[in-house]
Amino acid sequence: MKKEGESFKRMVEEFTRVGRILFEAGLNNSHSGNLSIRVGDRVVVTRRGAMLGELTAGDLVDVGLAEDDSGIALASTEVRVHRAVYAATSHLALVHAHPRTATAFSMGRDFIVPVDEEGRYYFKRIPVLTLQASIGSDDLERELPAMLKDYPIVMVRGHGAFAVGGNLEEGLQITHALEWSCDILLRCLALGMKEEILIGDRTHGKW
Amino acid sequence: MLEEWRLIKVDLGSGAVEKDVLDTRYVRDLVGGRGLGASLLTPFAIKGVDPLDGSVPLILAAGPLTGTGIPSGDRFSLSTISPLTGTVMDTNSGGRLGRSLRRAGAELLIITGRSPEPVILSLEDGEVKVLQAKELWGRTVSETVLRLQARWGKPAGMSVIGPAGENGVRYASIMTERMRAMGRGGAGAVMGSKNLKAIVALGKGMVPVHDRERLQVVLEESNRWLRAHPVTSKALPALGTPMMVKICTRAGIFPLRNFQGVAVGEEQAYTGEELAKRFTVSSSGCTGCYIQCGRVTEVDGSRGEGPEYESLWALGPDLGIEDLKKIIPAAHRCNELGMDTISTGGTLACAMELAQRDIRPSGVRFGEAGSLMKVLEDIAYRRDEGDDLADGSMVLARKAGALQYAMQVKGMELPGYDPRGAQGQGLAYATSNRGGCHLRGGYLIAREILGIPKKVHPGQVLGKGGHVARAQDFGAVADSLSVCRFATFALAPEYWSRMLNAVTGWDVGGEDLIRAGERIINLERILNLEMGVGPDTDILPPRFTDEPLAEGASSGEVVHLDDLLAEYYAHRDWPGGVPSESRRKELGLHEKRGGVL
Repeated sequence: MKKEGESFKRMVEEFTRVGRILFEAGLNNSHSGNLSIRVGDRVVVTRRGAMLGELTAGDLVDVGLAEDDSGIALASTEVRVHRAVYAATSHLALVHAHPRTATAFSMGRDFIVPVDEEGRYYFKRIPVLTLQASIGSDDLERELPAMLKDYPIVMVRGHGAFAVGGNLEEGLQITHALEWSCDILLRCLALGMKEEILIGDRTHGKW
Repeated sequence: MLEEWRLIKVDLGSGAVEKDVLDTRYVRDLVGGRGLGASLLTPFAIKGVDPLDGSVPLILAAGPLTGTGIPSGDRFSLSTISPLTGTVMDTNSGGRLGRSLRRAGAELLIITGRSPEPVILSLEDGEVKVLQAKELWGRTVSETVLRLQARWGKPAGMSVIGPAGENGVRYASIMTERMRAMGRGGAGAVMGSKNLKAIVALGKGMVPVHDRERLQVVLEESNRWLRAHPVTSKALPALGTPMMVKICTRAGIFPLRNFQGVAVGEEQAYTGEELAKRFTVSSSGCTGCYIQCGRVTEVDGSRGEGPEYESLWALGPDLGIEDLKKIIPAAHRCNELGMDTISTGGTLACAMELAQRDIRPSGVRFGEAGSLMKVLEDIAYRRDEGDDLADGSMVLARKAGALQYAMQVKGMELPGYDPRGAQGQGLAYATSNRGGCHLRGGYLIAREILGIPKKVHPGQVLGKGGHVARAQDFGAVADSLSVCRFATFALAPEYWSRMLNAVTGWDVGGEDLIRAGERIINLERILNLEMGVGPDTDILPPRFTDEPLAEGASSGEVVHLDDLLAEYYAHRDWPGGVPSESRRKELGLHEKRGGVL
């Protein structure tokens, strides 16, 4: 992979832009979350411990899609999950964030069902994956890719969101839309509305 | 649960008819239409095969969604080996024939052999007849369709060839009813080589749907987004595909005069808006389609379908002709003669540039519209210079010793997007399994110019290999489900998987479909390799890699094909451009398919 020229510069800018928006929108804290894209048989992923709000070219590491090389020593703890997702699906980008409201909702349910129109378009419903240990774990590496075959975003209970797409912006959009949907749901519940009435028959088992 | 996939095989040489049922595992692995067509071509993918000697089949294949009422889904696919490119090819069409085939008793119609005299092949409620067609031979498309409709009635589905197919023009189309073209690659010439003038189907059977209630739920969701998406709900119904003229001009990728330059500014007289304002009589579209992207236009009493964006460009600005009054009748005439408009225009543009450079004399010149209608006839009937032009730009330019002026890949003339301003589209042209085609290449214009599903920078190289592969895989799925590419603008793979599950009773996800698409692309690639069409043909004319655009939004750009290809091959696990053994095995392609023939 050429690490010079306009094309590389644009790629770094995309990481920087998406990382900054995730942080500024409150979807990550100072050091949480990670991002990656697939480039041929390589994965470009954020460095372990990188601050997504202030990414530079030095915060990006490229590793083999299947084989370990020296880059793996610097890569995010979640790199194995990123690689597993690319190996199992056609997705080209993965955004991992820690959206607060969505994470709160993930604590007590197996699916989050948006009640707003945009959420319905994007998701219909979002599955929640429950694991004993999730950060960089074997279980997450094994379970998550299969779920991302059928959903563009998955919540891991008490941990955060994993969103996939054709590029980082798509993952950002889905992550932000999920948090927005959860925020609307939270406000509806705070106003005393009944969730089952808001949802109605929208899941009806037929989608 | 979808339990049978009905196959009828007709040998036009002997008149033999065989009926069989295909194992639905094949259908599931390859989805339908294009995928099954490629699989069934396996025994014929041999180096040196002559697609016009009667031995190569024409395979008409419905998709599992054909005739089920899903949006933009009443299509069917036709597969064969291209006389233009020597590759496997598929082409597809809306109209009534796909639904009619299923209602008449076949998901697959395989036509082999060559009839000793012109014939019509009819399928009526399971009964196959081969009928003489002497009085139709030599007739144009609409003359033929009107006569067939007089006999079978308007509800019948039918595909016909015009004079171009009869005379072996290597880019002859097959027309479904009067207005829907199965172009790109010359399937019309294959049909003509079999002395087959028309295929007609009519039936009263019902197309099975496993769970109608579930399908209704998915259709409601899907239709909401088709009606909400500005491309499918506004732009295409209002302007048709010529909406792209202004968009591509602003992006600096609307080619002029055989890609010697691109259009700049806002003053073009041939935009979609002009076409709509001055010449469009009504919109039109395929059976059961909400979008209605087609145009019925009229010039001086001549009424017909189109031009679509590509036809408008290929028969207009690519030839230095900017007057819609000249372009529209030329597009109508190509439909009547049964010729692919892109290849017709691309070959003429090549002849014009060769003449401009004093390399080869020609009766056609850039900007001279007066000779256009005559040369179209000459091509279709292989008269005079038309006989040379009927073989396509690659053969024409090679004979003149100036292949570099043929704007083609693998022998197929390129459509109206200059790849120097859209790197992904350049890679798509180079790697498309049927040659230089925008659609089979993956239509990266959607991502790079229209921002569907998300905008990717058109000048970006890094990361494009994956985008092209993904778009090609999804495109192969759409062609195999036999649904319109435009509907895929609004609906993501998971919508289509849910429709498929409701119709068939299967349980597949969006990613399963993409994997099936990858299987189809790899299968086609393997078949092309067996016919000697390999990585050395994954190239572009040197104009695109060596000569920067001189003006417009993409000025200074060339296609960085070497970098793009390296990443694409790595993404696909095609070392050196050849699918690896492990990839073949993962996709179930390590054993030869096609045993059903």
